[in-house]
Amino acid sequence: MSRYEPAESEELAAFRAEVKAWIATNQPPKPSFKLPLSFLEVESEEQFRYLRAWQRKVYEAGYLGFDVPKEYGGQGVSLDKHRVVAQELARARAPFMVNLIALQWAGPTILAFGTEEQKQRFLPGILSADDIWCQGFSEPGSGSDLASLRAVAVPSEDGYRVTGHKVWTTLAHFAKFMILMARTDPAAGKYAGISYFLFPMDTPGVTIQPLVKMSGEGGFNQVIFDEAPMPKDALLGAEGEGWNIAMATLMFERGAGEGVGRERAAGFVERAGALAALAASTTRDGRPVSEDPVFRDRAVQAWIEAQAMALAAARSEAPALNAERPMALPLMNKLVMSEWAQRLAELGCEVLGPEAALWVGDPHAPDDGDWPRAFMNSFGMTIGGGTSEILRNIIGERVLGLPKSK
Amino acid sequence: MQDVTSLIPPVPHAFGFTTEHALTRQQARRFLEENSPREHARALHDDRLGYDPALYRRVLELGWLGLTLPESYGGAGLDHLHLMLLWEELGRALTPSPLFGALLATHAISLSRHEAHRGRWLPEALSGELIPTFAFGEPKGAWGPRQVSCRAEPKDGAWQLTGVKAHVPFGASATLAVVPAVDHRGEVGLFVLDLPSAGVEREPELSVDSTRRSARLVLSRARVPHDRRLQGDGARIFTQVCTLGYAVLAAEMVGAGEQVLELTRSYATTREQFGRAIGSFQAVKHPIVNMLCQLELARSLSLGAGAALSDSRLIDQPEVAERAARMAKAYGEQMLSHAVQKGVQLHGGFGFTWECDVQLYFKRMLWTRATLGDATHHKAALAAALFA
Ligand SMILES: Cc1cc2nc3c(=O)[nH]c(=O)nc-3n(C[C@H](O)[C@H](O)[C@H](O)COP(=O)(O)OP(=O)(O)OC[C@H]3O[C@@H](n4cnc5c(N)ncnc54)[C@H](O)[C@@H]3O)c2cc1C
Repeated sequence: MSRYEPAESEELAAFRAEVKAWIATNQPPKPSFKLPLSFLEVESEEQFRYLRAWQRKVYEAGYLGFDVPKEYGGQGVSLDKHRVVAQELARARAPFMVNLIALQWAGPTILAFGTEEQKQRFLPGILSADDIWCQGFSEPGSGSDLASLRAVAVPSEDGYRVTGHKVWTTLAHFAKFMILMARTDPAAGKYAGISYFLFPMDTPGVTIQPLVKMSGEGGFNQVIFDEAPMPKDALLGAEGEGWNIAMATLMFERGAGEGVGRERAAGFVERAGALAALAASTTRDGRPVSEDPVFRDRAVQAWIEAQAMALAAARSEAPALNAERPMALPLMNKLVMSEWAQRLAELGCEVLGPEAALWVGDPHAPDDGDWPRAFMNSFGMTIGGGTSEILRNIIGERVLGLPKSK
Repeated sequence: MQDVTSLIPPVPHAFGFTTEHALTRQQARRFLEENSPREHARALHDDRLGYDPALYRRVLELGWLGLTLPESYGGAGLDHLHLMLLWEELGRALTPSPLFGALLATHAISLSRHEAHRGRWLPEALSGELIPTFAFGEPKGAWGPRQVSCRAEPKDGAWQLTGVKAHVPFGASATLAVVPAVDHRGEVGLFVLDLPSAGVEREPELSVDSTRRSARLVLSRARVPHDRRLQGDGARIFTQVCTLGYAVLAAEMVGAGEQVLELTRSYATTREQFGRAIGSFQAVKHPIVNMLCQLELARSLSLGAGAALSDSRLIDQPEVAERAARMAKAYGEQMLSHAVQKGVQLHGGFGFTWECDVQLYFKRMLWTRATLGDATHHKAALAAALFA
């Protein structure tokens, strides 16, 4: 029988060792204050500064931007190196990249649709975390039905003036720019009248009001625009092309970009392992939870699914393996990953038994209350970026060709 | 706490997938579409033998039994990713054939340390001169190397086997069986038994899945010549045979799930009620999407198991590939169980009929779950590693 030699190339293995060593010496110590669990809940100035400094450090060391060409401040495209960095950061449980909206969806959108000038101007600041980005798509009346949005960008002498109301805007309070969807032609059809802008936030007429999440944390806002001025070159693509560009952004956001599924899946097996460790160190009725057969079964289920997602992400690298349904894996990513993370977080709470009743800040709360916090915050991922229900509609219609739901 | 990532195979880069693999899949699919449509499985429902010997001969000519066996014995010497892709197609087509038992038996024989064993039986099995099977099961749910109660006693320079083997794949028509039995030292040996043979009574079982026939072998001092015990650690070989079995059954379930998804998807786009296709109702659409998501995860695990079985880094750690295969079989069962249940339900009254093809896969699911350990079993085994 022939065997295949999947070992990493020497070059890549050396790179991995280098990254690993760099993280080990440069990973910042745990701060005295509480960090958020993800980029969605960055609330305070001190959290923000700590996380921004970390992203900048990784970038300056040359490990961030393997999906961006050198001329735009990136490291030159190498998806292999991109994946190795993601894996090693996940393995070391290093802090996350605070500018994630920019890194994973605004940036790739600019790379795909921007002019040469826009790419040169915006991409380097995204990687270095000098320019934080937020996303102004959703409005109070337009969530799942995004194309019903009502914000308008009215032409003025030197550009546009924006009026409208955006909501659930993550990171708006730290952002220098916003990817903004607004109507430029209210008379055109539902989709045709929408344009896509790279909106500078530091301008009069913009009011940012923080919103509080179910966990009590902040991180998102509502943003009210009252004839806020915006230069002409804030427009990405052409007027009226906004819907199509936004669809590309949403694909990136949902992890359909090349290598992104792989990056997101990198830490899942480790997370299942952390759950197992939690069960081994937690007692219930005087015995380790890890001895309870019902719990063991559920933990193994999470482990199997974590490995399945990691393998699915790796499959995306062999397109011929997915030729019959090329869009299935990319469109599935966010749906299966967010629902898995939700189950895992709940399982963690169940492992803790009575201790799961203790909230963040209680000196006796296991892992400082992060399991119940993670469970609540997991709904951010099953709702934000297109709800699980909407994703099921999209997959059913676009991948399986099922008739549209009215 | 141990590093969980070292318990399971590393995620392979692009699975080592090449154009050759694509060719294997394409050829298998084309051949089966032409020669083994589902009417073929239906037509053999009441057949005494349960498969078409002419078709089996052609399958052997295509080299499907010896895909991963060395070329020196007539095999094709390919890696296990080929095997998984082939078995996915077999699962989709529901092809009735003794291939499964033959695959396990030839794998066992290929692991014998005795060259004469390999040199003799492998070419004969690959050419169809003999049709081998592997007796992994016994009555009352016993299977696998740790639950062998059949005994092998040395007598007059031969072995005498006594006990009952159950669920033996195509055991009523096979012409050779690899039979695990415990010897007088308490060790599991694998004995190569000609069929029919004196001291062997064969009782056909009525299988829930007519494409997967089986039989009981009642052994009363059945004689096996001394030199027909496979050389090497019998329990270890048995374990490796099981691993391969988990993997190909996982791949089959992926193929079956694919077909159930396609049947259901296509029905949901054409069947109309309330003036619209039923697939436009989200209560119909969303379960079909769930079928797809589970299917793609199951396929990833199945291909991952294939890659692990041929991974040069894991040669000395068969337990790592075994875990990958267990994961694939456990999750594959959950996927297929969900798919066939939704498949029947979403076809409505028609789904409940003999005529609707989903029932064929429903039965295959029941058979596969029952064979070589169900999801609960494999998860318990995996838990032992996770919580070691
Ligand atoms: C943590 C978090 C961060 C976010 N960050 C941002 C951000 O930075 N920028 C931004 O623009 N937006 C952001 N959002 C907004 C997010 O995109 C929307 O909340 C989401 O698209 C859902 O819209 P909605 O809240 O209006 O819910 P609705 O659309 O009103 O949905 C309510 C319920 O109805 C269901 N539903 C609606 N339509 C259908 C249908 N056709 N079929 C079946 N079910 C349906 C939904 O699935 C949901 O369960 C964020 C949301 C969260 C939770």
